[in-house]
Amino acid sequence: MTAVAERRGRVRERSPVLAFLGRRMAGAVVAIFVASLVIFLGTVVLPGDAASVVLGRNGTPEQVSALNHRLHLDKPASQEYADWISGLAHGDLGDSAVGLVQGEKHAPVWPLISSPVKNSLILALVTAIFMIPLSLFLGVVAAVNAGRPADHVISLGTLAGIALPEFVIGSLLVGVFFVGLGWLPPVALVPPGANPLDDPKKLVLPVLTLLLASLASGVRMVRAGMIEVLRTEYVQTARLNGLPERRVLARYAMRNALAPSIQVLAQNLQWLIGGIIITESVFAYPGLGTTLVTAVGNRDVTVVRDIALLIAIAYILINLVADLIVMLLVPKLREPA
Amino acid sequence: MSDAQNDRPPIAPVEALFDQRLSRQTLLRGAAGAMLGMSPLVAAACGGSSSSTTAQTSGGTPKRGGVLRVSFASAGTAETLSPLIAVTPIDQARIQNLYDPLIITNPDFSTSPGLALEWNANSDATVWEIKLRPDVTFHNGKDFTADDVIYSIQQMAKPSSYAVPFVSGINAKDIKKVDKLTLQVPLKSPDADLPSNFAQYNTWIFQNGETDFKHPVGTGPFVYESFVPGQQSVFKRNPNYWQSPKPYVDELKIIGITDNGARLNSLLSGQIDAMGMLPTAQAKAHQSTGDIVVLTGKSPQPIMFYMDVTKPPFDNNDVRMAMKLIVDRPAMIEGALNGFGSVGNDIVGKGLPFYDTSLPQRVQDIEQAKSLLKKAGQENLTVELQTSEIIPGFVESATLLAQQAKAAGVTINLKQVPANSYYNPSLLYLKMAFAETQWAITGMKFFYLQALAKDAPYNETHWNDASFNDLLVKAIGETDKTKAQDTWNQIQEIQYNQGGYIDWVAADWVDGLSTKVKGMTASGAGALGNMNFMDAYFE
Repeated sequence: MTAVAERRGRVRERSPVLAFLGRRMAGAVVAIFVASLVIFLGTVVLPGDAASVVLGRNGTPEQVSALNHRLHLDKPASQEYADWISGLAHGDLGDSAVGLVQGEKHAPVWPLISSPVKNSLILALVTAIFMIPLSLFLGVVAAVNAGRPADHVISLGTLAGIALPEFVIGSLLVGVFFVGLGWLPPVALVPPGANPLDDPKKLVLPVLTLLLASLASGVRMVRAGMIEVLRTEYVQTARLNGLPERRVLARYAMRNALAPSIQVLAQNLQWLIGGIIITESVFAYPGLGTTLVTAVGNRDVTVVRDIALLIAIAYILINLVADLIVMLLVPKLREPA
Repeated sequence: MSDAQNDRPPIAPVEALFDQRLSRQTLLRGAAGAMLGMSPLVAAACGGSSSSTTAQTSGGTPKRGGVLRVSFASAGTAETLSPLIAVTPIDQARIQNLYDPLIITNPDFSTSPGLALEWNANSDATVWEIKLRPDVTFHNGKDFTADDVIYSIQQMAKPSSYAVPFVSGINAKDIKKVDKLTLQVPLKSPDADLPSNFAQYNTWIFQNGETDFKHPVGTGPFVYESFVPGQQSVFKRNPNYWQSPKPYVDELKIIGITDNGARLNSLLSGQIDAMGMLPTAQAKAHQSTGDIVVLTGKSPQPIMFYMDVTKPPFDNNDVRMAMKLIVDRPAMIEGALNGFGSVGNDIVGKGLPFYDTSLPQRVQDIEQAKSLLKKAGQENLTVELQTSEIIPGFVESATLLAQQAKAAGVTINLKQVPANSYYNPSLLYLKMAFAETQWAITGMKFFYLQALAKDAPYNETHWNDASFNDLLVKAIGETDKTKAQDTWNQIQEIQYNQGGYIDWVAADWVDGLSTKVKGMTASGAGALGNMNFMDAYFE
């Protein structure tokens, strides 16, 4: 055994959580690196470029090549990638290709996407605040009532939600709550600079859409975990000892059923990020999704790359946090390997 | 005018959305890139269409006050307040309310004096003297003078400007200031209709010395207040506007909403007061419910199939004529555009000055088509038609054409290609033998110069004919209106009989207005009443 390996072994013995965290962090860095490569290649193979999109049919070949030069698109891809990554490492997200095409000297990406990032975060957080407790609650109710009508209603309802794409759910909700009942606005327009939470009514339908589209897997996972745990001998023993059912569920069943559910809830959160892209468009909500969609249309590769990487990083971070929580919840995982 | 949102293909939603966005984007580029010109006069303007309620939303005297909120599809961060590089409808809406044109195009394509009061040409139409409107001030209080016009035209002539097609015939460097309100414009070749070059929004006038348009200063009805590209702009009423008492509303908000459904929902829920590009299916539905006003403008904008006249089998005119005779135009308008359009006649520009109204309307004639194909030795012809979701109506009309062609024994195989390469000259554009196109044409000469003249940059049909070109130069320089019309008729007859365009429709502008908004009039010259928001008021 080398000295390094020995030391590492000791760290692992002393603090398995730290060692685990270190491993996962390293993994996350690798994952982000791989994601950045994939994103970069994706934007390279995307046909067309900002210069010809913005110039349209008006662009002469000379204009297009002059612009491509300004956008550094005439450099080898490897150089372009290196520039992007080193820029990011210095906190520089680069210049918007469209801005440069329109003749600006500098068109930094961050001011263009900072308020969409904020808006999307708000939408995601509000949804998550409802999603996590709802998934747990509905999952537990379904498990406790397994096979009975309440279970069927919950399972079928959430399944129907996940079976429909967001734009269908969104349209249905608009049909019911705006066209039919006239209770809620069908779009979530937020003026620049305003906080979406200033008028929470606007957020109801987008949040509801995201909830309906994302609840099912969490609910089903919690339900399955609970049912399994409820069948175990220690739960039976607890019940036979006359402990109140509420206490049995909360103290004995939930905690053990939760571990696998946390991974699923994390997946749900990640999935939420994807769902937001479509939901935002349906409700004209000015977030990252709408920004990404127009940026792809404009072939604004710098903006597309930055947003895609931000989303990838969010994914990976959620995963990391979920792993940590599982680790803290399940003592067995804390033992040295 | 987009149905695309309702016809989402059953593919992964994210991709679907991206495709929607792309097609719309390309449409805007394509259309706007081609939005070459605008010309005075003539036209079956608003109203009159079989299926449209159209027209005026007026009644009573205009009232002052209120905020008018208008939405068009967003172009994201590519949105601009510079007339020189504006391309999309949302750009156009902003430009046309911040700045003024030298010449105003009315809903029926007649014209009124804008910032220019008089246009006088020398005898061979090579030098024009333009007299400007006095007592006009910019938003910053500065007087409007010849210097502003000269500076604007010189900026338009720079290669990076989209106004180049309109000013390329002008010796921009040699424009002379005669006095404070008069300028002399020398041309490279005779042009008997110079005023029409200054109607399209890329040629609207800004102040001398303007460079970045970050805080744009115009003479228009509304004054810049704020602008976040991709989201919204806020303009205030110009209290010193030369068309006083217009505008009537205190504030104009122009909001980008890309999704057609969301834009319509915003209108229905009262969060906006007007929307551009109402999908035709919804337009039809809401015409009957009456909860919004459907504004339909009789535009000359054609949607066309085109054949490369240099590539077989289309190098044979009998085949081209047969293809023109195969089309059932009214059925195609009904099927692809829900009836929102008038039949085309294989010559573009319906309603514009110099459009040849004497040519008989082409109708479907399968027998004649068959015999022409037989003559050409092309019975059982099989061709490939490349289509793309550029605007609603492209793929639909291509599909209908393929069906209609079967009757004449012609097999048309449809090939749907990505929207982003369709108008991209480095990918597919101008390389396809049989495809579709759409022009936002508002002046005959601009279309012919861009599409059919010698060295035309968008020569989709690869038309190349020296004598045709001579006719075109003659028509443009002819100062005698009757003679000019004669020459234009000869030009159009050649296209009618031999050209590569199958022009099946002049598609309407279809837009939506809240019932509370009064004063807006449908216009042939542009979407949403040609965006004349200075006319709008609330009851």
